[in-house]
Amino acid sequence: MATISQSKKATSARATDDAWRAEQRAHHRNQLIRKVLLTLLTLSIVLVFFFPIYFWIGASFRPFQDIFAKPPLLTFPEFTTSWWEVVIGGADYGDIVRREVGGRGGTGGGGTLGYYAIPYLMDSIIIGLSSTAIVIAISVTTAYALSRLRVWGQQNWIFFVISTRFMPPVAVALPLFLLYREIGWIDTYQGVILAHTVINLPLAILLMKSFFDDIPQDLDEAAMVDGANRFGSFWRVVLPLAAPGMAAAAILSFIFSWNEFLLTLYLTRSEIRTLPVAMSTFDSSSGGTEWGFLAAAGSAGMIPVFIFILFVQRHLVRGLTLGAVKA
Amino acid sequence: MAQANKLPGVADATDKHSGAVGSKPFFSSENSFFWLLPGIGLMLLYALFPLLYNLWISFREWDLMGKEFDPVYGEGLPFFGENWKTIWDSTIAGPLNINSLLSNGELTNNLALALDPRLQNSLVITFQYVLIALTFQLVLGFIIALLLDADPWGKGLMQSLMILPMVIAPAIAGMIFRLLLHSELGGVQWMLYQVGITSQAEPLMGGSGQYALAALLIVDIWQWTPFFVIILLAGLKGLPQEVMEAASVDGANFFQRLFRIKIPLLRGVLLIAVLFRLIDLYRVYDYVHIMTSGGPAGATETISYYNAIQTFNQLEWGYGAAISVTILLIAWLSALIYQRAFRISW
Repeated sequence: MATISQSKKATSARATDDAWRAEQRAHHRNQLIRKVLLTLLTLSIVLVFFFPIYFWIGASFRPFQDIFAKPPLLTFPEFTTSWWEVVIGGADYGDIVRREVGGRGGTGGGGTLGYYAIPYLMDSIIIGLSSTAIVIAISVTTAYALSRLRVWGQQNWIFFVISTRFMPPVAVALPLFLLYREIGWIDTYQGVILAHTVINLPLAILLMKSFFDDIPQDLDEAAMVDGANRFGSFWRVVLPLAAPGMAAAAILSFIFSWNEFLLTLYLTRSEIRTLPVAMSTFDSSSGGTEWGFLAAAGSAGMIPVFIFILFVQRHLVRGLTLGAVKA
Repeated sequence: MAQANKLPGVADATDKHSGAVGSKPFFSSENSFFWLLPGIGLMLLYALFPLLYNLWISFREWDLMGKEFDPVYGEGLPFFGENWKTIWDSTIAGPLNINSLLSNGELTNNLALALDPRLQNSLVITFQYVLIALTFQLVLGFIIALLLDADPWGKGLMQSLMILPMVIAPAIAGMIFRLLLHSELGGVQWMLYQVGITSQAEPLMGGSGQYALAALLIVDIWQWTPFFVIILLAGLKGLPQEVMEAASVDGANFFQRLFRIKIPLLRGVLLIAVLFRLIDLYRVYDYVHIMTSGGPAGATETISYYNAIQTFNQLEWGYGAAISVTILLIAWLSALIYQRAFRISW
């Protein structure tokens, strides 16, 4: 800009130059106003979307009455960790209810069901990690074959994988339930882990395939010319290059397993409760006593996912569309 | 999508390595069978087996103690049995009045229709739910994506914030809104009272159930509008910059650029996003389970929820299986038609 205005100054009359500068200033001002308005508008929409999360995590730190303030509180006039003491710390439910709610509570179902969330979180973590490990181990070879090898009916296999993604979980719940009942897998880790594995396989396979597709074929070829066989070139050349994609697939699989509800609900009874399933059994109808605990338990289930998603945000679009749309 | 094995260079590489086609040894790392076996095998076991098993269950009947008894085959439909007759009559024969058409042609005897009003209701509810949610999410998602694409300050942070609703477990999202929309305790419900959109007599949740579906829709729209936002944002970012600049230079206004250039260029991305959202909307279960349990009076009973109720509450395994096969077929057929119609490939 500076050089342009200098050259202008050198060649044109001063009056024209001033007019030109004024015009430029007006233009910049308009641009600035436009950007401010755009930012304000976008921010207000984004904040509307963020509000329920803020409200929920906030509610887990508010004293009983403040949770139900109308309109909802945005600041923290008072702060308490009572709910978290039960959910994470294992404090006694009755004590906390007497302290926070006074005489109004203490009869809700939470006392017997237990808001102590560590066992549920442990179940969620065990199931999530195991199924993710299996998903990744299995999907990389399948994805590699679909990306590189001569596969009979390649498009049909891909369509089969996608069909599995499109299968409503409620359609497999009953047969799996009856099968598991026969072989004694109801309420076992392996039962839920395998169910989650199959749910996440389509995502992982097609996501990994799209990452393999991005890696130039020349690299495999070069490795094979140098004497590696197909597996060697896959293991030593392609897989290390696809490591970021593998991490993305793993984290997304973990998140979907973490959030899965229907199959876990019907394939378990009482031994295994992932956090969402456990939350669905909490009774929230007894006069509002339970909401502080529910907010804390729900937040405990949300916050780990928020941290994970930061790492794969870049690949989220690709993951959600099974590799069809690349960000 | 480009198929690796059709590229000439690669075919050379494989041929060099394993000799001419046909002479390959079976136990070779070139044999795709071994590569595919674990993944495809597990999926066949867990996807195809349940489907076939479900089909078999759907022809049978169990009593409430879980004891199987001989299936009752309807007179008019000798093979398919009662479960499938109910489904056929409720979804196709009843609404289209096919049986009377057939009986006029004296093809069947006049068999009483076995209608299941709850099934019909749940299909209608699901259809409404999918249509309304998809429309809102698509339009709202597009608007937000356009705003973010116009490069406001703090774009990255806002984008990250937009993603958050999507990664919350739907069950927990349902809980959040169960409190926010609670008829007495809910802050958002209170604001709606103040504005006059709903009243104490007819809150979003509870009451006669007039707005109960809207409550579910609010959660769904909140949680999944970001899905369209991030996908369309990725699509918008991928648009060729020269084209957009050329359009500006040629004096195309905002709407012309949007409808004549951006949307046509985003067609592929839009189609994929809509396909995935359609499939996931259609199987909505978690919100219903957490927020309304299908009530009041079936106002929010979606097909997935009704299916689970029949199967796991009423223990009507045969009928439940028939419904789930129907759900599966609708999902797969519509996805197949959609994919073929719009020529989507991976």
